[in-house]
Amino acid sequence: MQPVLRASDISKSFGAVRALDKARLTVERGEIHALLGANGCGKSTLCKIIAGTVGRDSGEVAIDGEVAALGSPRLAEEQGVALFYQELSLVPQLSVGENIFLGREPRTALGFTDRAAILHETEALIARVATVAGKGFTPEARVADLSPDQRQLAEILKVLARKPKVIIFDEATATLDRRQVEVFFDILRELRSEGISSIFISHRMDEVFAIADRITVMRNGQTVAEFAASETDRYAVVYAMVGETGAIAASVRDHKPLEDNIRLVVDRVRAARLGPVSFTARRGEILGLGGLQGQGQKALLSGLFGAEPFLAGRVSLDGVDVTARRPADAMAHRIAYVSGDRARDSALPGRSIFENTAIASLVRERRHVIPGALFRERFAEVLTGLNTRYAGLDAPIGSLSGGNQQKVFISRWLSPAPGLLLLDDPTKGIDLGAKGDFYLLARKLADEGATVIIYSSEDSELLSLCDRLLVLNGGAVTADLSGDRLTPFELTQASYGDAA
Amino acid sequence: MIGLSQLGRRTWVVTAVALIVLLVANAILQHNFLEPSVVQSNLTTFLPLVLVAIGQTYVILGGDIDLSVGAIVALTNVVTVTVIAALGGDGTAVTLGLLAGVGVGVGCGLINGLIIAGLRFQPIVTTFATSIVFSGLALWVLPQAGLPVPEPYWRTYAGSVLGIPTVYVIYLVAFLLAAFLAARPFMTRLKAVGGQRTAAFQTGVDIGKLRVSAFVLSGLFGAFSSLCLTGETASGDPLMGQTLAMSAISAVVLGGTALAGGVGGALGSVLGAWVVGMIGSVIFFAGLPFEYQTLVQGLIILAALAGGVLVTRR
Repeated sequence: MQPVLRASDISKSFGAVRALDKARLTVERGEIHALLGANGCGKSTLCKIIAGTVGRDSGEVAIDGEVAALGSPRLAEEQGVALFYQELSLVPQLSVGENIFLGREPRTALGFTDRAAILHETEALIARVATVAGKGFTPEARVADLSPDQRQLAEILKVLARKPKVIIFDEATATLDRRQVEVFFDILRELRSEGISSIFISHRMDEVFAIADRITVMRNGQTVAEFAASETDRYAVVYAMVGETGAIAASVRDHKPLEDNIRLVVDRVRAARLGPVSFTARRGEILGLGGLQGQGQKALLSGLFGAEPFLAGRVSLDGVDVTARRPADAMAHRIAYVSGDRARDSALPGRSIFENTAIASLVRERRHVIPGALFRERFAEVLTGLNTRYAGLDAPIGSLSGGNQQKVFISRWLSPAPGLLLLDDPTKGIDLGAKGDFYLLARKLADEGATVIIYSSEDSELLSLCDRLLVLNGGAVTADLSGDRLTPFELTQASYGDAA
Repeated sequence: MIGLSQLGRRTWVVTAVALIVLLVANAILQHNFLEPSVVQSNLTTFLPLVLVAIGQTYVILGGDIDLSVGAIVALTNVVTVTVIAALGGDGTAVTLGLLAGVGVGVGCGLINGLIIAGLRFQPIVTTFATSIVFSGLALWVLPQAGLPVPEPYWRTYAGSVLGIPTVYVIYLVAFLLAAFLAARPFMTRLKAVGGQRTAAFQTGVDIGKLRVSAFVLSGLFGAFSSLCLTGETASGDPLMGQTLAMSAISAVVLGGTALAGGVGGALGSVLGAWVVGMIGSVIFFAGLPFEYQTLVQGLIILAALAGGVLVTRR
C-alpha cells in the first residue's frame, strides 16, 4: 500500500550549519511512528519542514504518493499534515469550541458566528474521545479552567477538526505526568484505529516502546535506521541514536554504603497541597522524590528553596536553621535549585551565557559589579567540565540546545559547590547525552559531600540515579524506598497507593 | 457552566452593583432624578463617554490601548464645524461636515493601527504621540474655540426622530452596532489576539488586520462621540474631550474588560461609562466644593476598580 507520507532526501542548512542531510521518513497509513535522535539531530527541523513552518533547501515530500507543495502551515494543513503544538495554539480566555474553530468559524447566512454549529461539532469531536475527556470538558468550558491534560486534549481536537491524515506530535508528552501520558496514548490508539497516522517525537524510551509501531532514528541530520518496534529493543535503538561514541549513563549509582551522616532535617513542613512532611537526608546522598506528578514534589522543592515558602515547619542543614522565606535565604546557605522548566525558572532570555552563569554568584557574594576576569575563568572551567558545547561566553543563551542550556543553568550553582542541590525534573526535554552528563555530575557532587534531592517525571531516571526514594502521594510521604526495595514495582505500587 | 467563566464577569457584576448604589444615591440627592426629562438629560451627558468606551473596548480586547481618542474627538469636532461653516451651513453642508468628521475619526484610527500593527510600535507610546499630533492638528484647523454650528444641528440632537429622542436613537444604533460586532467571528478572533497572540498567530488568524480594525473602530466611535458633543456645545473647540480617553479606559476596565486583553465586551463598558458619569453627578449634587471634585472622583474610580480586582482574584 502507498505510504501516507514519504519525505525523501530532505536537506536544509541554517547558515553554515547543515541541519538535515538527505534525511528521509516514511509513514504508513494508520501507524504511530516514533522519530528519535539526540537533540540537534534534525528531527524537529524535519517535522517543521513537513508541516510547512520551515522551508527546505532540497528534497521532496509526497502525501498519498503525490508530491506536495508545503510552503506554509496552511498549505500543509490543506494537504492533510497537521503539527500539534504544545498548548501554544490555545487561547485560555476562550472556550473549547471557540478555540477549536478559531479562524474557521462556521457562519450563518447573515455572516454571524454560527454558535449552534460550533457547539454541535465540538460535541461530536468530544464524543470521539469521551472515554478520556474527564469532568467539565464541554464545548463551553473555558480553556483556562481545564486541567493540563484536558488542554492537551483540546489541542488535539483542534487538530482533528482539520481532518488531517498525519499529525506530528513534537515532544507532546514532555510536560505530562504518567497518568496523562496514558490518556494521551489512548488518544493516539484511537486515531490509529481511525486510520490517522501519528509522528511522535519523544526523549522517553519507555514511551516509544509502549506506543510506537515503527521507529525512525536520526543522527547528525541523517536518517540512520528504521525499525519495526516489535522486532527491536531499546539497546539497538539507543545504539543507533548515539553511534559508536555515545556513552549512555544507564546507571551511575555506586553501591558503596552510605555513612550514617545525617545533615538535612526537614521537620513537619507544610504548604498549600503538601504535608506535614518530615524526613532526613545524609551527606553524599541522592534522594529522589517519586510518585505521580502533582503530589507535592514540586511544592517541597520550591519550599526548601524559599521560592514558595512553607506555611509551617522547620528545615535545618548541618545543624543550622535554613528555613527559607525567600530564595536569597536559601542561597546564603549554599542551597541550589535547578528547574526543568528552563524558560520559566532559569533563563535570562536574550542575555549572554556569561550573564546567565554569573547571576547566582552575584547574589550569593553580594556583588554589585561583575568581576569579569575572575568570573570568566571560573565559569569557563565549570562549563568545560560539564562537556558544554558553546561558541563563547558572550553568545546568547538562546543559541544553545536545551541540554547545553541546562548545563549553563546548573553551572551557576557549582562554584562554590552547593551543600544541598534541589533538582526539579532537571532533564525534561534534554537529549540523552546531556542527561548522562547530568547524572554523572549529580553523583560527583554527592560524592564530594553535597546532598541532592531530585524530582523526576521519569521513573527510570529516579530508579537508576537515586540512593533512596521518598514516594509522595496526596502531599504525604507514603513510602521510603532504598536498597532492595528500590524497584519499579515498589515505586509504582507506592505511587498508585490508597491515597490517590 | 457560566459560574466557571470567572474573571471579567464578576467585575461586571460589581460594576452593576455600583451602578445601582449610585442610582439610589443620586435619587436621594436629586429629588427629581427619576423624572423622564432628567433621565434623558443625564443619559445625554453620559453619551459621549459611552461611545468612546465602546470603541476603546475593541482596542483593549485586542491587547492594545488607545490614548489618542480624546484628541480624535477634538480633531473631529473642529474639522466638522469648519467644513460646515466653509460650505455655508445648509443641510448639505451639515451632512458633508458629519461625513468629514467620521472620515477624520476613521483616518486617525487607521493611522494608529497601521503604525502599531504594521510597524510594531508600542501602542501606549504611539497613541500618546499621535494624540499630541492630532491635538496639534486640531489647533491648526481651529486655533480658538468658537465657530457655532447651524441651529438645525443642535436642535435635531436635542430633539427627536420619529417621536423618539435623538439621543436614545443614537444609543440604540450604538447598541445594535456593538451587538452586530459581538455576533461576528471578528469578536472571537479579536479576543484571541488579545488573549494569547502567539496562539492566534499559529492558528492562522490575521492579527495585523484585526488590530488595525480595532483602532479604526475606536476612531469611528470617537468621531460619533465628538459629533454628539458638538450637538451639545453647538460650537468648535480644539481642546474638547481631553479627559475622555482616560475616563473611557476606566469605564472599560470597570465594565469587566481585562486591561491585558482577551476578556470582556462592549456592554460592560457601557455600564462602566454610566458608573463613571454617575460618580461625577453624585459628587456634584452632594454639594462638594469644586476643588475636591476631581480628587474624589479619582478616588471613587480607584475604589471601584479595586473592588472589581479583589472580587476577580478571590
